[in-house]
Amino acid sequence: MRELSLHILDLAQNSLTANATRLDILIRIDHEKDNLSITLADNGKGMAPDFLKSVTSPFTTTRTTRKVGLGIPMFKANAELTGGSFDIESEVGVGTRMTANFVLSSIDRPPLGDMPSTMVSLVVANPEFHFHLEYAVDKEAFVFDTEEIRQVLGGVPLDTPEVLSWIEGYIQEGMESLHGGA
Amino acid sequence: MNVAELAQILDAKVLNPGVDLNREVESGYVCDLLSWVMAKGAPGCAWITVMNHMNVIAVATLLDMACVILPENIAIEQATLDKATEEEIPVLGSGKTSYELAGLLYAQGVPNPVK
Repeated sequence: MRELSLHILDLAQNSLTANATRLDILIRIDHEKDNLSITLADNGKGMAPDFLKSVTSPFTTTRTTRKVGLGIPMFKANAELTGGSFDIESEVGVGTRMTANFVLSSIDRPPLGDMPSTMVSLVVANPEFHFHLEYAVDKEAFVFDTEEIRQVLGGVPLDTPEVLSWIEGYIQEGMESLHGGA
Repeated sequence: MNVAELAQILDAKVLNPGVDLNREVESGYVCDLLSWVMAKGAPGCAWITVMNHMNVIAVATLLDMACVILPENIAIEQATLDKATEEEIPVLGSGKTSYELAGLLYAQGVPNPVK
């Protein structure tokens, strides 16, 4: 993918397909360690050990329409291309957690991309879902949590245009204030 | 032009011999970003890329490509070649650059992929 946010958008679909009700998206930039990590953790149905072992192979998929699945394999390959790493763990009935570590300064690391609009796309398509975004740069962090927003809004649905526009601006400002530069 | 004829024109080596080379080459494409190729490639396409991992074979399979071409004598693991054979994707290797290979394909009148 040309941007890391496109991987996030793509992989969030796995969590939704796995009947998750909550997805945590953790983006951490550590300049000292020259690392950008992306963790996706859901409470979906999880994967059995045998399937988990093969899930980084592109010829593993739950799809029945075709035999190739490239979401996780491309995410892993992209991290490794920068000199980074990828790790995934899962438990049936509990959920799945994966982390990709990218070398922050690597010339092959794609830019983070447009996270505010990525989050808006996710919320529009899944207004009832619990998304928790954490964006940390060194020792500072910005958090966006749809459950918190929902409580403040009372009964107003998240997928109303005014709310969506506010969400986009809120995430944009929150992330820019940390000067991650990724 | 089929894949066997293409290999001759490019002076390329078939890295997974035994695979069927009769497939017609309908178009050519050069790109190393796999997600991009997934969106832009087409069935019957000859795809030139410096990438050499298993995901390349998966993308070629997904799009039912005619073949994959690795430039600049890039090495590729046997396990990946075996998978390519299993999926009936010929993998060609050449000492030429992507630029030169694309030039030769273009000179043969091989067009861009049409979705």
